Parts: sequence; C-alpha cells; structure tokens
Amino acid sequence: MSSKPSNSLSATLHPRRTLAFRLSAAYSLLGLLLVILATASLYLVLRTELDRSTELFLADKLHVLRTMLRERPDDEDALREEIELESEARRYQQFYIRLLDEHGVPIMTTPGMAEQLDLAELASRTRGRSERSIAMAGRHGQPFRVTSATVTVGTPQTHTDTVQIAIDVSQEEELLTRYRMWFWGILLATSVLFPLVGYRIARHGIRPVEEIAATARRITSTNLRERIGSEGYPSELASLAGTFNEMLERLEESFERISRFTADIAHDLRTPVNNIRGEAEVALARARTVDEYRDVLVSSLEEAIRLSELIGNLLFLARAESPLTELHRENVNIRELLTTVRDYYEASATDAGLSLVVNEGAEPLNAELDRSLMLRAVSNLVSNAIAHTSPGGTVTLAATNEDVAISIEVSDTGVGIPAEAIPRVFDRFFRVDPSRSKISGGTGLGLAIVQSILTLHGGSAEISSQLGHGTRVTLRMPALATR
Amino acid sequence: MKILVIEDEVKTAKFLRKGLSEAGYVIDVAADGLEGLHLAKEVDFELVILDVMLPVMDGWQVLAHLRETEQKPLVLMLTARDAVHERVRGFELGADDYLVKPFAFSELLARVRSLLRRTTPRPQESLRMADLEIDLLRQRATRAGQRLDLTSKEFLLLTLLARRAGEVLSRTLIAESVWDMNFDSDTNVVDVNVRRLRSKVDDPFPLKLIHTVRGAGYVFEAEQ
Repeated sequence: MSSKPSNSLSATLHPRRTLAFRLSAAYSLLGLLLVILATASLYLVLRTELDRSTELFLADKLHVLRTMLRERPDDEDALREEIELESEARRYQQFYIRLLDEHGVPIMTTPGMAEQLDLAELASRTRGRSERSIAMAGRHGQPFRVTSATVTVGTPQTHTDTVQIAIDVSQEEELLTRYRMWFWGILLATSVLFPLVGYRIARHGIRPVEEIAATARRITSTNLRERIGSEGYPSELASLAGTFNEMLERLEESFERISRFTADIAHDLRTPVNNIRGEAEVALARARTVDEYRDVLVSSLEEAIRLSELIGNLLFLARAESPLTELHRENVNIRELLTTVRDYYEASATDAGLSLVVNEGAEPLNAELDRSLMLRAVSNLVSNAIAHTSPGGTVTLAATNEDVAISIEVSDTGVGIPAEAIPRVFDRFFRVDPSRSKISGGTGLGLAIVQSILTLHGGSAEISSQLGHGTRVTLRMPALATR
Repeated sequence: MKILVIEDEVKTAKFLRKGLSEAGYVIDVAADGLEGLHLAKEVDFELVILDVMLPVMDGWQVLAHLRETEQKPLVLMLTARDAVHERVRGFELGADDYLVKPFAFSELLARVRSLLRRTTPRPQESLRMADLEIDLLRQRATRAGQRLDLTSKEFLLLTLLARRAGEVLSRTLIAESVWDMNFDSDTNVVDVNVRRLRSKVDDPFPLKLIHTVRGAGYVFEAEQ
C-alpha cells in the first residue's frame, strides 16, 4: 500500500487481510485446480487410449494367426512371414510371437525373442489367463505387454496350438513419462504465474478504492471542498465515489452552517460583553456620583440579562438536538393553549394597535404534546407576528384537525418576508432585517427554536409569506392521541 | 435565620453572602462539598444553598448526606445545567427547590423567602395596602373607595404583587405566575401588562404603589 505508515490501517501489518491478497489467492487456487483437473483428465484419457490401441493390436495379431492356423494350417511360408519377418522389419513398437504345439514345444519364434524376454516366465505368467494382456518387464528392463491364447488348427480341427505374443510398449511409456513431465512443468509454471498475475489484476482492480481511501484520509474540516474525481472508474466504484462526494457535500454544508453559527454567537456575545466592559471602564476612570454608578450597574445588569437569555436559548437549541432529549407529553387542549398565548400577548397587541384573535374551530382539539415547549413555540411566532405587523392589522391563531396530525397556524397581515429570505428564516441568527432586530431586541433564534421544538415532536414548521400582505407559519405535528 | 451557602465560585459566593445578609439572613459560606457537609452537621442551618459542581464532593453527594443528618435542613440547588433529568434527579434526592444559573438574584431571594416561610399563608379574604383594597372573594379591587375596572389577568397580577408586597418580583416570575409562561419568553410583554395595570391602579392617584426596579423587576410598596 502506498499510504503513509501512520494511518495505513492494518493493511501493511496483515497482508492476509488485504482484498488483493484474498482475491488473488482465490483466483490462483481456482486456476490451479482447473489446470490439475484438465491435465490429469487428459493424461488419463491418453493412457487409456494407448492401452486400448496396444490391446487392439494384440487382438488383431491374434485374430490373423487364428485365422491362418484354422484356414491354412499348412501354409508355413505365410506363417513365417507373419511371425518372423514382419516383426523383424519394425524398428519401433516391436513385437514377438511364439507358436507352440499342444505339448508346449515351440514350432516357430520371432528371432531375438529369447534375448528380449524370459520365455519361461512368459509361459508361466500367461498360462490359464484370458486373452487380456498383462504387463511384464523384458530382460533389459523394457516394458512389454504379453498375452497368450490357445488356437485351433485346421478345419475340421486336428489339434490345438498355443500362441504367445509380446509387444514392446516402451514408446508409449516414454510418451506418458514425457507427458507427466509436461504436467508437472505446467503445474509449476501456473502455480507461480497465477498468484503473480492474479495479484496484479486484483491490485489494479482495487486501485480506485485505494484512491478513494487516500482522498478520504486527506480530508479534514479545513479542506472539505476536496472531491474524488470519479472519471474512469468502473460503474460500481463510480457510484461509491459519487455517494462519498454527496456525503462530503452535506458535511461541507453543515460545517459552513456551524462555523457561521459560531461566528454569529461570537458576535452576539461580544456586543453585551463589550458594553459591560466599556461602561465599567469609563465609570471607574474617575469619581462619579451615586446615581451615575447606579446607571452603570443597571446597564450592566441589562446586558447580563441579555447574555443570560442568549445562553439560555443556545442551550435550549443544543439540548433539543441531543438524541437524549425527552418530551414530557401530556394531553393538551389546543384551544386552551392558544388562548393562554393570546392572553399573554393581548396587551402588547393592543398597544401596537393590532387585534389578536384565536380562530376557534368547531370541535375541541386535543393532542399529546409537551405543553410548555409548544407554548414557547407559539409564543415565539406570536411575538414575531406582533413585531412585524403595522397598526390596524390582525394576528390570527388557529388550529386544525388533520386526522392523524394537527396543525397550528399563526398568520398576520404584516410586512411579509422577501422570497429570497424564506429558505433561511429558520436558520440560527438569521435576521431578515439585521438593523431592525437590534431595536426590537430579538436574538435571531426564535424561529430556530420553533423548528427544533417541532422536530422534537416529530413535526415540521412551514412558512409562507407575501411581501406587504403578511406571513403565515404552520406548525404541523402528529396528534398521537386525540380525545 | 441561618443559611449555609456551599459554592466554590468566589464571586458567586460573595454576592450571595452580601445579598442574603442584606435581606436579613445570617450566612455561612463553604467553598467545597466536604467542608459544607461538616458545617451543616455542626451548625443548625434552616436552609442550604447548594451548588452542583463542587470540588472534593459534588452537590449530589452532599445532598444525599444532608438527607441523613439529624437537622435535615431545606436544600435549594443551584446548577449551570437545567436538563430536565437533572432537575428530576435533584427532586428525587430530596432537594426542596432548584434554580438554574444564570439566575436573577431577586428570583433566588423570592424562592428563599417562600421556602423559609414556615407556615403557608392562610387563605386571606382581602389584601390592603394604603388606600388600595383587594377583595379576593368577589374578585374586585377598589382604591380610595373607587372600583377599579380590571381584566381577570390584571386582577391576578395585582394580587400577586400585593401578596408579596416588598419583594422584588422578576418578569419571569410574573409571567410564570400570571400567564403560566414558564420560560424566558419575551419579557417586555410583562412590562406592557404592568404599564396597563399602573394606568388603572396608580395613574389617577398621587400615591404610587407599583415601582419598577431597573434590571430586576417590580416591587409593590406604599413608599415613594
């Protein structure tokens, strides 16, 4: 592996665990097995065929002799031609024939037979056997196939003779020996070649995987922009690389969101801290009246409260995202919940010249909710609505039963939100108009909190708005148990 | 009445001692859990204000040991974490109240007072402050004999202020008691409501009863 030793995982330590090793080992074993099977079966076929041709040759000779003895027992020349001359004329695959009478006395013998074979042994070993040949070693160690048969002489039969035939099969044996050598040679060559070639092929095949791994190893939070080039990869790996790139895309986005969030937190914390510090420094620069000191202290207190609220909201969001967060669900009458919010904000709405109404549905609506969290979500929405609606407008709270889900709607006739800002309104610290919220004192976390409360309830928050006509936020959540 | 503050953060301990002393309590401070526990066993405290994150022995252990002492003082826990399960754990271990940092001192003082108020206030039929009279049974309030035209929430708010006359009530506490809003909702809503109440209770009369304590909340008293 081309990786750095520090993080090359276990690959360099345990070569047996590498994919390339496993693949090439499997390929090699399979290849070797096939080669062994093929050559061994070919060898067996060859041997059988050679044996069969020897056998056929012997049978053929025997048949000729048998015919001659039966049909023309007195044609000695023909016999001699068959037994003595034909064999002698051969250079390879020589054969020897001996003809014995009924008392075992040789009548005719191929010349040189006695030098090549122990005739007594031949006689004893072939006696009483069928016509199938048996193997026998010659005097000089050459391999022979021998057979003997009783043949009838004359028609009608006068007596019986015995024919002994021996054939030198050293040519066939040599052929088989050469074949075996080739066999071992091929086996040796393939057992070296297969693993080598197989390993190379496997390595080549998994190289893209290693490249992907190398890229993955390089990627840290600082270079999330890097991507795996998926050109030229086989389709399976191209899809892997693609999936990987999509994951990086999402990670990069979340990281950007988080870092923007952190920068926003820092900014929002800096402002009150800066105020406290500056005011205290200026106040301490020289002696002040008691009232001046009191003003500074009160101002610090206000800033501290602002900080506390910000911290409280941030903690709330952090906790809402923790998988350990549990909801304290109880049966909540939605109308009663909306009325509670209305009562709380009524005075503010009246001050702002707005009417704040709860649009009562026909039937009572109940749901299993975390009451205090939902109260908070709806309050945030109403607070936003009041802040962004001009005098004479209306803020409406409504609830609808949607069978398995319920929805709570807060709509206003206010200034609305520009279309391009809508996708970001639920982001933390996002403010449609940054200068405006400085005055109204919002933390920019209100809608983020609303969304996280709905997420905790397994629901969602949706916003639709028309610039100059108003905004409508719909909270939709499963009702669980309604009564 | 003697209160023990077990708190390792020096500044916090200092302002608790100062604030509570000025409110008329006798304060002892311990800087770690073990020291606090020893003190609590030796001296008869009526209330222990206990931080959770403490050196040597943490607040939970101190609380568990305190439950086994003879004195069994009341315990108010202070913590920087307000995860619900921590709150539940605190109450299970026998804490009498629970406050999350950062807290308003007025809030702490209010809780200390209500914990140490030995007897629960008897149900009263009426409250009186200067020329203001609140008839709790008939839900009506009069000032200098004049009937005040209050909404039900305004009446609740006035009753809350009057019942706890002299105490600084934070906006959070008011929102929670009157409107059931038990979270830091935008508290200027409380200001708006108090302003409306004032316009009916105080504005027509020379003697003002509802006073703003800047940065802290509201107090109900008859002094100028």
